[in-house]
Amino acid sequence: MAATTDDTAEHTDDSPAPRRRPRGTGRLALAVSVLGELLITAGLVLGLFVVYSLWWTNVIADRKADRQADRIREQWAHSAPSGPGALDTKDGIGFLHVPAMHNGEVLVKKGTSTDVLNDGVAGYYIDPVKATLPTTGKAGNFTLAAHRDGHGAKFHNIDKLAKGDPIVFETRDDWYVYKVYDILPETSKFNVDVLAQVPEESGVTKPGHYITLTTCTPVYTSRYRYVVWGELVRVQKVDSKRTPPKELR
Amino acid sequence: MYGWIWRHLPGNTWVKALISLVLVLAVVYVLFQYVFPWAEPLLPFNDVTVNNQ
Repeated sequence: MAATTDDTAEHTDDSPAPRRRPRGTGRLALAVSVLGELLITAGLVLGLFVVYSLWWTNVIADRKADRQADRIREQWAHSAPSGPGALDTKDGIGFLHVPAMHNGEVLVKKGTSTDVLNDGVAGYYIDPVKATLPTTGKAGNFTLAAHRDGHGAKFHNIDKLAKGDPIVFETRDDWYVYKVYDILPETSKFNVDVLAQVPEESGVTKPGHYITLTTCTPVYTSRYRYVVWGELVRVQKVDSKRTPPKELR
Repeated sequence: MYGWIWRHLPGNTWVKALISLVLVLAVVYVLFQYVFPWAEPLLPFNDVTVNNQ
């Protein structure tokens, strides 16, 4: 009995010793644990990037767009109709209203560079084919681009547009009411013909007052382009209360 | 790695937790403010125009 007790005691004393790992194993374990922590960190950073792209850029862009929109509304309110201020388009030329997209008004600015579009606006093309602005009164194509996701995601719901839906462009003096007549759900990003002054791909052959919306598709990628074409139905003068046309009521 | 950082933070557990939180927030701030805006144009998620390039 006594011997057994001694044995047990000895074992208890010894037991911490085997727990101590040999040096080589310790270094390997350390390397594996650091690698594991780095991988977990990488995963978290990628997750944060998704949060950034799909949420934070919208917050920033909407804030900037709202500020620019307020400035334009103020300019419009303080400048005489068709006075010298009429050509001041630095902050934007007007607002796009698309009821089917359920996203309120979208500020329209010059250019489709990343810098412009990242402020949560729609840009009209100056390259590769220059857009014809409706305010000029000339026949041509008013071509626009905006983000599908992130940075305001102003054309996120472009797929909700159907033939016959109204697209209204508001300037200081006029409401330009367009009607969607053709949709191209998927095309190559090199297909610049969709921007032509007479976009024949939409089935028209004669010069007219057209509008073209472009964005990327499918959502969350930039593989293809989604194109919506509309044609001008009528131009309505803005009244003193800025009463919206019946399409927006 | 994180264990090493934790052991080298000063103070008791609460102070360490507080410092860790501040460090995490600082890292997130740097990512959102500098790293992600730099990385985003390099990734093919946000081209919306048709063009010749």
